[in-house]
Amino acid sequence: MSRMKGVRARLSAILRPRAAEARMEEEFHFHLEMEIDKNLRAGMTPAAARRRALIAFGGLDGHREAMRDGRGALLAGDLGRDLRVALRGLARNPGFAAVAVLTIGVGVGATTAVFSAVDAALLRPLPFAEPDRLVELDKVNIPWQGEERPTDRPHITDVRALTDTFTHVAAYAPGGMNLSGLGTPRRIRVGVVTPNLFATLGVPPLLGRDLTADDEVPGAPRVALVSFGLWRGAMGADLDIAGRTIMLHGHTHEVVGVMPRGFAFPDEAEVWVPMSVPWTPDLFDAFRGSIPKRLVARLASGVTVEQAGARLRALLAAYDERPDRPVEATPAELVRPLHASLVGDGGSALLVLLGATALVLLVACTNVANLLLSRAVARRHEIALRAMLGASSFRLIRQLLAESILLALIGGAAGVAIAVMGAQLLDTLVPSALSGAAPIRVDTRVLGFALAVAVTAGLAFGLWPALAARRTRAVGALEGGGGGSGGDNATSRLRRIFVVAEVALALMLLIGASLMLRSLHRLLSTESGVQPQGIATLELTLAEADYPTAADRRQFYEALQDRLRRNPVVEAVAAINELPLRGVAPRALWVYPEGLMPERERWRAAQELRVTPDYFRAMGICILEGRPPGPRPAGTEVGEVAINEMLADVYWPGQSPIGARLQMPNDMVWEVVGVVSNVRPGSLDEAVIPQAYYSLLDAPYDNAALVARGRIPAAELTGVLQQAVHAVAPGQAVYNVRTMEEVIAGAIAPRRTRTALITTFGLVALCLAAVGVYGVIAFGVARRTREIGIRLALGANPGRVIGGVVAEGLVLALAGTVPGLAGAWLLSRFLDSFVYGITTTDPIAFTAAPVALLAIATLAALVPAWRASRVNAVEAMRVG
Amino acid sequence: MVRESRSEVLRGTIDLLVLKTLALEPTHGWGIGQRIEQISAGELLVQQGSLYPALQRLEHAGLIASEWGPSESNRRARYYSLTRAGRRALEQETESWRRFAAAVEVVLETS
Repeated sequence: MSRMKGVRARLSAILRPRAAEARMEEEFHFHLEMEIDKNLRAGMTPAAARRRALIAFGGLDGHREAMRDGRGALLAGDLGRDLRVALRGLARNPGFAAVAVLTIGVGVGATTAVFSAVDAALLRPLPFAEPDRLVELDKVNIPWQGEERPTDRPHITDVRALTDTFTHVAAYAPGGMNLSGLGTPRRIRVGVVTPNLFATLGVPPLLGRDLTADDEVPGAPRVALVSFGLWRGAMGADLDIAGRTIMLHGHTHEVVGVMPRGFAFPDEAEVWVPMSVPWTPDLFDAFRGSIPKRLVARLASGVTVEQAGARLRALLAAYDERPDRPVEATPAELVRPLHASLVGDGGSALLVLLGATALVLLVACTNVANLLLSRAVARRHEIALRAMLGASSFRLIRQLLAESILLALIGGAAGVAIAVMGAQLLDTLVPSALSGAAPIRVDTRVLGFALAVAVTAGLAFGLWPALAARRTRAVGALEGGGGGSGGDNATSRLRRIFVVAEVALALMLLIGASLMLRSLHRLLSTESGVQPQGIATLELTLAEADYPTAADRRQFYEALQDRLRRNPVVEAVAAINELPLRGVAPRALWVYPEGLMPERERWRAAQELRVTPDYFRAMGICILEGRPPGPRPAGTEVGEVAINEMLADVYWPGQSPIGARLQMPNDMVWEVVGVVSNVRPGSLDEAVIPQAYYSLLDAPYDNAALVARGRIPAAELTGVLQQAVHAVAPGQAVYNVRTMEEVIAGAIAPRRTRTALITTFGLVALCLAAVGVYGVIAFGVARRTREIGIRLALGANPGRVIGGVVAEGLVLALAGTVPGLAGAWLLSRFLDSFVYGITTTDPIAFTAAPVALLAIATLAALVPAWRASRVNAVEAMRVG
Repeated sequence: MVRESRSEVLRGTIDLLVLKTLALEPTHGWGIGQRIEQISAGELLVQQGSLYPALQRLEHAGLIASEWGPSESNRRARYYSLTRAGRRALEQETESWRRFAAAVEVVLETS
């Protein structure tokens, strides 16, 4: 009972500090008054009475402090005071503070930057209404108009009929079109969507109206919705959009609505046009070759993803052509949560990166812990004095922790600045299907994470030194020599352990970096098949409205090439329907030698490439036999084709295929006129496939790329190409204007970013570890200055002194190398998807990294070693 | 007793004196100091200000309780009194102190 009263009294003092202070003041006041009264009665003057009373009471402030201390350290006032004292302490040592803040900043910054990418891709829910009810559907078709209904897959109409499972079923496809009529013509990203897509996602337009079923009827007036950015930029943010139009691909579209700010789904679309169901041919305006449709649906209430999957599977089974064969797809493959589906495989890569940043953070924290430890040792006089003057150990620890937390917060702020700058660079790490729906932002959640990391780090690296300082025995600390030397063996051992840990972590990162660098090197030295130096490219799409017939398009390409050929700086110019190595999967068509038609299992699909004759010369592709394909001569049905080595080996191994004939299932025939070397189709890390080059002028596609090799640097040459297009067709939009080297680099951009990141982490960790080694060795040398001085004075070889100190450093580094190698060995399997051309336990990486580390560690130890050998014996002895 | 720290003996003694004083009659902080001085005939001069931390400590430990009340001069003062736990603690610590003093006495006699 009494205990309860006591606890209540204590709680009340903590929870209502002002009341407690007031009571204390009143009690003191009362006490003093009584004492003064007593003195007055004893005959003193009022002034003397007061003075005597105060003296008898003792130091007012001291007693106030003691009372406050007794009440408990949770009072905000105390913490504020501790932080202010900490701030003053740091201001007195700006060098130390700067190093510590920088180190923490790097650690927190790296972690926060990668976390913002992880947050954008994996954690933040999609910006739609109830996003966890949205799913993506697989193996559902959208039919073509007039097409006979196939019998092996369900249609979107059938799925829409399942109203008990899905409340909405919509489709979208990200494409591109030429935008004109608003300034310079440019390529714009278009979302071709069924009219109910926005209703499915739950994002209504900001202005105007949504798309309706009327809009998707073929022949209906063309309409479009625009993005907030486009509306603000090109339409002046005019609230009255009635009657506004934009020109897409030569057709006028009425703008009927504006989407809310920040909405850019899919794929950073700026304009949305209706997708008719069934599909009509003008849909191809926005795409090249195939339509990358995806189906998205909203689950009805109470329906789970698994149930929807089962339902769809049942539907699929009803359609299967061969009823005796079970449906191959599982429910989980058919209906997937939208977020997971868009992330795809990219998520694990991000998590690996987050793990790497955690390592960097650990190294940074260890380094700062070491710094703080040395500082605590240097301040042990001050701490001992405080302890003797009555500061409780809790108070002392609190003071030291306040310093650490202050450092952590300042460092954290610096880290956030680094993260904000770095966030933009990490854009390539977010899976591309998510771009537009999940931009990388440093928002409150990311900031909260940064704060949590900083505070945890501050407590972690602050606690050790604080506890270590507390153990310093008061008596021993107050006597004895200079400021920086000394400290007991426990502290010294702790510092060595810290450094060994740093070295191990740094080695793990370095090995990871080596693996990635070797992979990148392997990738870049992969034979791509082209000579990219000096080649400029651009892509364009000829709108049907401007170039209705094949003849029109042919004329455009010929006029363009003519104009460029006449330019003296251009050595070779050509056009191709699909640039290689730009990171897009190739399309292939069945071809087979004449006469092989019945043997369908021997058919191979070859990438269909349409080129103008100078293509191989422009791209530096070797012509192994024969010549490039030209347009079909008049009067014959047989066109010309050049095939790559692989296709030649498949169908005509060991012999020359020149003169042989290739056929397609549609009965078209080509004569092989040349054999060229292989070119990697989509990206450097893709396998080589059979390729067939036909004449572009025979079937001039509307989507093409222009390539040119010239006598001037590629970057300047791109400008020449652009001007030529503008001269031949002033209103023609071009896009992806870049050098061939940029094209190749772009396709592997995510890999390069990851490599760059991990390499940076590895180097940072290496620096920090080197500094750590230096610190500990220098510390040890300073401690033994006297001993070294005497040895040198007695004739010891300076070389041996240096050797001894360096050996100490090497021992530390080696002690860290062993766990580092082990850790790297164990964790390397997580890098499986990152490496190319090497194993995750690549011996070169596993030897090069430790060697580099030991070399740097030796250097780090060399500096104090050299200084040790120069110790003046007389000076040394005077210090002691 | 209450939580001890470095100057155990010193602190413990103040606590004991305070508890004993309050056992006779509840009073305020100033009064406690005066009474100890009086009863010990000037031998024990408690540093006045450091009484209050001790009082706070004892109160948080539940050995004494406090409330506002009118003083002799009709000012508002905080009066302290012993709780039941306090009374028990007083008995224990008095016993403890007597044994301690007796032991010291024995050691001093034997030389």
